[in-house]
Amino acid sequence: MIEALSRALMQLATCCLGESRREWALAMQAEFEEAGDARTLLSFACGCLIAAWCELPRHAEGRLSALSHAIALGLLVPLASIQFLCGLKSSMVLGGLESGLDPGWSHNPFLAGAQNSAMPVLHILWLMLGAWHLHLAWVLLERDWERVARTGALIAAATLTLFTFMAVLLLSTQAMMALAAILAIETIFILTLARWHARIFLNTAPATTA
Amino acid sequence: MLILLEALAARAQQWRHGYELMKETGLSSGTLYPLLMRMTDQGLVEAEWRKPEQPGRPARHVYRLTAAGVTLAQTAALPNATPAQKLALA
Repeated sequence: MIEALSRALMQLATCCLGESRREWALAMQAEFEEAGDARTLLSFACGCLIAAWCELPRHAEGRLSALSHAIALGLLVPLASIQFLCGLKSSMVLGGLESGLDPGWSHNPFLAGAQNSAMPVLHILWLMLGAWHLHLAWVLLERDWERVARTGALIAAATLTLFTFMAVLLLSTQAMMALAAILAIETIFILTLARWHARIFLNTAPATTA
Repeated sequence: MLILLEALAARAQQWRHGYELMKETGLSSGTLYPLLMRMTDQGLVEAEWRKPEQPGRPARHVYRLTAAGVTLAQTAALPNATPAQKLALA
């Protein structure tokens, strides 16, 4: 168990060191194999992980990786949680709670029926937005820019649909305005990361021979 | 850095393994490897790969001081080395 944990930590340290320190990662891995008992293995692996984390801000790939993790864990995952909560709240509205609806809705019996019947769609859209945001965080960390673009397009389409539904049904669009602002910030961050990634790997790409 | 410099200077011509340096200096891997990386970047330490002693084992990295590293170690070891010089190496 301790050995498996140590190996996982070593693997993580190797990933954190990046391409520029690949040789050092292999050197650490080789010495890890020489370390004796399980406790030594664990302390060695923890030390290597700390060393790898200390190295992160020193190279461009590490800084890119740190920023990607910060955006994924600090922005996308919390946003996904809020969207899941909104989805669950919509379902609670279906159950009789009226907090998600415009305060004036109950005075308009003609709208109330339409609003209540649209709730399942809104609920699904919020949950889908949450799921796509989690997926976006994952593909962002994998630096799979094609899938990032595809997921971003899905999020934009779902947000627009949700906004249209809520506007047509005269539901409060304040939350949607806030979401649109956050999505704009998120897009700027992701575009910056993509450009940075392209610049780093363009510079480190091996020169092609004629 | 001073401890590592002393350990490497004690047998300056000899190639040393990372794990051996850890045991000798008492430094943890989290301290030793960043120091070795920095000293290699600064041209104080040279590193190379050695074939494994036993089949099935991975190749290992070995380290030793360069001429610049030996000079620095000698400067640091001088009794009249200023505290500022020693502090810069600590």
